[in-house]
Amino acid sequence: MTGPFVVTDGGIRLSVGADEQGMLFSLPTLLQSGDDAGGRLDYTPHPDDPAADAEYRELIGDDLAHLRRQDRDSFNDLVAGEPGSPEALEAFMRVVGEARLVLAGRLGIEDDGWEAEADMRSDPELALLGWLGYLQDAAVGVLSELL
Amino acid sequence: MTIAPDQVDVPDVDELDATVRPWQVVVLNDPVNLMSYVVWVFRKLFGHPETEATRLMLQVHHEGRAIVSSGPLEKAELDCHRLHHHGLWATLEKT
Repeated sequence: MTGPFVVTDGGIRLSVGADEQGMLFSLPTLLQSGDDAGGRLDYTPHPDDPAADAEYRELIGDDLAHLRRQDRDSFNDLVAGEPGSPEALEAFMRVVGEARLVLAGRLGIEDDGWEAEADMRSDPELALLGWLGYLQDAAVGVLSELL
Repeated sequence: MTIAPDQVDVPDVDELDATVRPWQVVVLNDPVNLMSYVVWVFRKLFGHPETEATRLMLQVHHEGRAIVSSGPLEKAELDCHRLHHHGLWATLEKT
């Protein structure tokens, strides 16, 4: 049994079936929908200081949004079957992580231990959350070897 | 080069302390990010060895939070920004 990533001299390739590939191609759309339940992607370093937070946001500007757009471009290339660099796999991993946060928000997951009671066969979004976790963990395994 | 002033105002100690006192970057627990991913992020962003990254991850998991870096505001905000880019829930606190 092989994992979802194949590492060769030419780069890292994602190895999944057509159905899974189609699912992955839909993730950036999920993230662009603005459906960030729970506001998990709208971070603030100064939650108790509106003035400091405003100053921070002015300093950072749309840099986070720009980085996320770059990540999604790399993600799409990897999902399309193109060999990618470790940096491309990092971007892939971040996009998968963002999608998991959004899905978890939709599912109302707020506490640790939710996996123990989750019936992933009964809810497609739970199943997707679990499968994306498997992909992210596999990517961590590949990238940890490179640290 | 410049000429030393004849007279200087000595800053108030409390005022000075407030200016130079470092900020701490605090990562908060969330139920979604994988433990393995969080360990990798700490190793990647802060150069921690795996044992230290794992210790910090477990501290976040069990205690709800852990201080992962500290320094002047600009550095702390940059660290926070990088954590946010990686999907981790991080805030800043003054020491």
